[in-house]
Amino acid sequence: MPEFALVSRPALPHSPVGDASRVRIEALPEGHVLHVLAAGGRDITPEQLASLGDGTAHAVRRYAPGQWFVVGNEALGSKEYREKAARLGADAAVSDQSHGRVRVAVSGSGARSLLAKGCAVDFSPSVFAVGATAATLYNHIGIHVTRTAEDGFELLVLRSFAQSLWEDLSVNHGEH
Amino acid sequence: MASLIRCPHCGARPKEEFTIRGAAVTRPQPDAGEDAWYAYVYLRDNPMGPFDEYWHHTSGCRRWLVVSRDTRTHETYGVRDAAAVAGESRS
Ligand SMILES: [Zn+2]
Repeated sequence: MPEFALVSRPALPHSPVGDASRVRIEALPEGHVLHVLAAGGRDITPEQLASLGDGTAHAVRRYAPGQWFVVGNEALGSKEYREKAARLGADAAVSDQSHGRVRVAVSGSGARSLLAKGCAVDFSPSVFAVGATAATLYNHIGIHVTRTAEDGFELLVLRSFAQSLWEDLSVNHGEH
Repeated sequence: MASLIRCPHCGARPKEEFTIRGAAVTRPQPDAGEDAWYAYVYLRDNPMGPFDEYWHHTSGCRRWLVVSRDTRTHETYGVRDAAAVAGESRS
């Protein structure tokens, strides 16, 4: 018997803030986050990347040249993770970051202006269409943004910064 | 303007997302001799005008870039991936 029971606690144990008609901030399930890094000089095809996803839209998110995040709502067991990590063979390294990053959804007609309060990225639909991604800052916190719908965004943030990001979003939401 | 950097991978971003390393000087060969290495480590031109610097897109794609800007006007007229620049100078 271990001396202490291990208790899994969510990084963001909060109810959603706001309502979907204006702006809503919601902590998403802590499923899985995989960080994919192409081996030096290797091209990874969209099909290879899609094979790591759970089949949902926007599961694969571009991060930087040769780097992607693959996210999903279901937790992966170590066997499933090893099986996925082996799919790309020597073309890429796949690092399990499910413990390291959490997701926050920002949605509603005011989502774009709430993000604009902390980000310098141009989120107009002509520049940042559905499916577009950006690694950037919200205030001083590093985030990865994906537009998942016309009025919907997902933010991926380091777990230890999640609470601070939540507070920043909540404060800015209160000004709406 | 140098307050808005057009990263070749991320698009236009504010300078707060970047870390500036300094002049993009070419590293000498290991056996280039003491004078060449002294110059590489310590001597800088501090030009008034066009200037190439290494910038790291720390809060974005995390790539090293070579930013070409004018030190008089802060106008930037080129941002390239540092690996691509190194590839050009090798070939
Ligand atoms: Zn960048």
